[in-house]
Amino acid sequence: MKRPMPPAAAIIAVIFLAFLPSPSTAGEDDVLHLYNWNNYISPETVARFEASCDCRLKQDYYSDNEEMLAKLEAGAVGYDLLVPTGNAVESLIRLHALRPLARERLPRFANLKAEYVDTWFDPGNRYSVPYAYTVTLIGYNVEKLRERGLPTDTWALIFEPKYLEKLKGRVSVLNSARELMAAAMIYLGHSVHDTDPAKWDEAKRLILRAKPYWATFSNSTYIKDLAIGNLWVAHGYSNDMFRARADAADAGRPFHIGFTIPREGAVLALDSFVIHRAGPRPDLAHRFIDFMLAGENAADVSNLIGAGNPNAAAMPLIRPDIAADPAIFPSADEARRLQMLKDFDVHSRRLLSRIWTEIKVR
Amino acid sequence: MTRPRRDPTRWLVSLPPTLFLLAFFLAPALLMVLASFRHPGEFGGLAPLLVDGKPQLTLETYRFFFGDWIYAEVFLRSFIVAALTTLFCLLLAYPLALTIARSSARRRDLLVLLVILPFASNFLIRVYAWIILLGPPHLLYTTFAVIAGMVYVHLPFMILPLYTNLEKHDPTLLEAAQDLGADAWTRFWRITFPLSLPGIWAGTALVFIPVLGMFAIPELLGGTGDILIGNLIKEQFLDNRDWPLGSTLSLLLTVAVLALAGLSVWAGRARRGGI
Amino acid sequence: MPLGAGSDKSAAGDRRPSPAPSARPGRIPWLWLASLAVYAFLYVPLAVVVLFSFNDSLLNAQWVGFTTRWYDKLLHDEALLGAAANSVLIALTSASIATVLGTMAGITMQRWPVGVLRALPGLVLTPVAMPEILLGVSLLIFFRQVLDLTLGLFSILIAHISFSIGFVAIIVRARLAGMDESIFEAARDLGASPWRTFRHITLPLILPGIIAGFLMSFTLSIDDFVITFFVAGVGVSTLPLQIYSMIKVAVSPEVNAVSTLLMALTLTLITLASRLAPDLLRRSA
Repeated sequence: MKRPMPPAAAIIAVIFLAFLPSPSTAGEDDVLHLYNWNNYISPETVARFEASCDCRLKQDYYSDNEEMLAKLEAGAVGYDLLVPTGNAVESLIRLHALRPLARERLPRFANLKAEYVDTWFDPGNRYSVPYAYTVTLIGYNVEKLRERGLPTDTWALIFEPKYLEKLKGRVSVLNSARELMAAAMIYLGHSVHDTDPAKWDEAKRLILRAKPYWATFSNSTYIKDLAIGNLWVAHGYSNDMFRARADAADAGRPFHIGFTIPREGAVLALDSFVIHRAGPRPDLAHRFIDFMLAGENAADVSNLIGAGNPNAAAMPLIRPDIAADPAIFPSADEARRLQMLKDFDVHSRRLLSRIWTEIKVR
Repeated sequence: MTRPRRDPTRWLVSLPPTLFLLAFFLAPALLMVLASFRHPGEFGGLAPLLVDGKPQLTLETYRFFFGDWIYAEVFLRSFIVAALTTLFCLLLAYPLALTIARSSARRRDLLVLLVILPFASNFLIRVYAWIILLGPPHLLYTTFAVIAGMVYVHLPFMILPLYTNLEKHDPTLLEAAQDLGADAWTRFWRITFPLSLPGIWAGTALVFIPVLGMFAIPELLGGTGDILIGNLIKEQFLDNRDWPLGSTLSLLLTVAVLALAGLSVWAGRARRGGI
Repeated sequence: MPLGAGSDKSAAGDRRPSPAPSARPGRIPWLWLASLAVYAFLYVPLAVVVLFSFNDSLLNAQWVGFTTRWYDKLLHDEALLGAAANSVLIALTSASIATVLGTMAGITMQRWPVGVLRALPGLVLTPVAMPEILLGVSLLIFFRQVLDLTLGLFSILIAHISFSIGFVAIIVRARLAGMDESIFEAARDLGASPWRTFRHITLPLILPGIIAGFLMSFTLSIDDFVITFFVAGVGVSTLPLQIYSMIKVAVSPEVNAVSTLLMALTLTLITLASRLAPDLLRRSA
């Protein structure tokens, strides 16, 4: 009889295991768990914090609020700190998922600019400390638009066929029902909070008329496409456009990327630190928030990714070209035309999703 | 005919996988069946199941789904894309699987490994490679790009079962046919192909079904009209936070797939019965 | 097609006494050409990935110059290396367990389609038929709200096993289907215990299916993003999760470097395995 063969799986497994570095675990005592946007805090700042508190900061990353909320709603626990956008802060508060802040442990709270505290989603800042903001706007290839004599400061650029004809296949818009509808509603002169089906229908028709000229719906790839030159116009976030501009310059591309807040207005997203109710280390969480409120640490987010900064003490430490950019730090006049998104109720969410499907299918 | 003995082996073999799947697949899945009849939560997730001791269940989500044609249209499109992907996978996989199955034992292992190796990289990376490749010829953001990406990502799932099937074919059958004067085409069509049908079905199941749930590829490679049922489902859970609608869509998809599978099994039996 | 058929017929003409190797049914030129084309299809995108891991450009849109700096950066990226270790550990463990359970399920489905066991195919195949995202959400709810389990490596492992079983079962069953049942009966009649029959007859026959199933589960596990995303615990990351978060910001060539290393590692280990145990992957009939 033939010698039985060694079980292949076992041998491969043993060999693999021999080469394996020990898996990472989070077993240390003093660890603060931060569930954060990617690339929102520089490694240097993290190192400074770890030195100052003699603890470890571990970060997991998410790329949009809904992703984070979905995980938390299904019951994920263990995160001490989150950095949600305003509408998500409101949802988390209403879900009783957050721990009220102990203000006496946040002496640097006073560094915040008056216009970014006491907001609609958290009156009196009982739960949230603003950290950064971005604007949803239009990024563009400066040279291509100039050659074609196209305007850069209006939503008409992505909605009006007379402009789009010169841009066919070179435009991307966000793959987000909320953001795209908001842009359409603003262009039509309506409020982004409006849930009137008739107005939504008007916005849908505007979008469907423009859709044949668009290349794709994109939430992240437009950064690269703009920097390479495949796309000339993209609807997206100011920090992404900042990145595309820097990447194009670094790579020595023969053109420039610009971004402007459309004159009709735009959506503002204000991200804040909040402490999760089930997080094991609220003490470290408070220390971290106060640490990040210091000017030199708060300035990070603007210098790193070109986000707007609600911290007054950070302003002198922000690179002058960034601090002077009106699309990152809008003037008071422009700031008045910015609106923050609020979460819709269940009924409207479902209706919007229905409209969104129709936009995709038609 | 001997009656099969009462056999403890049967239970030793069948119980572990059964119990595992009952605990870690069926139980969670039933939660989601229930979820499709529940009300959505005000801030996403699900509304409480019990209010004052009364269960809060509704058919509203199903009514919403069947209320108009738009969702059925997305289903239909997804099935077409999945069918095309499966077809192209089969066309590409068959010659390769046949070549591997007919090479010498030593070379066979290498050839199988060459099929697996690309898949030791990362899914997203493989899709990004296609972004780089399709960008310059202006094929990016088209339905063609979606199908190319789908075929690329799922190809080994067709090659492997086909190869395992073809490898066990008895070569003497083909030699006998050759001796009887059958040309290569006849030998393939009358012997190899019918014998490989179980492998084809296995491969079809492993390609067709995952394509339906895929959302990353249409999102990254597709244009403004490329939406599949997978995108719709992902949207409900991750963007729209409407779990009952997400569960309903998933369940209807699962039912449709299982019905299709059942239909093909039934058709196969009917045909065999007829011969 | 005509080319292949023609050359084969002429070969068949003078093949009487001993079958020359060139006359074996497998040696059809167009078949080899087609196979080469399919390999090219599989490898051209990978060549791009590997090539661009040495490209001295963050944008990676065109070739700029040779560099190894992405590898340097990678070797100092603790988070990424830790995630890679987690991924390999999870993939090996879950693929091994899923292979055992899936093989059992495949055998059951083929041999004993009787009684309650008739429902097994449904149970085994439905996870394959279900959208990944639904599996992910349902397992997360189940782990947290029913079992009150702390998420971590263990929850990922369970999830990966449950979606891999079906894939293994399908392949093993396809291998068993159409096999001549009489050998098993012969073994039984000769007094072999079920275990001996399995060990010496069934196992060698279905081993290629089992290996294919293992490789497939391994691939599925090391590559899974959607389900892992939901069931991963705080601070426990896997390679796809890590790469996803890197990619979201814009693809850095560092990601290409990770993939290149991953492929190199797999290739080395498999080569090594076949050297150390030569009959590991070879099946002598």
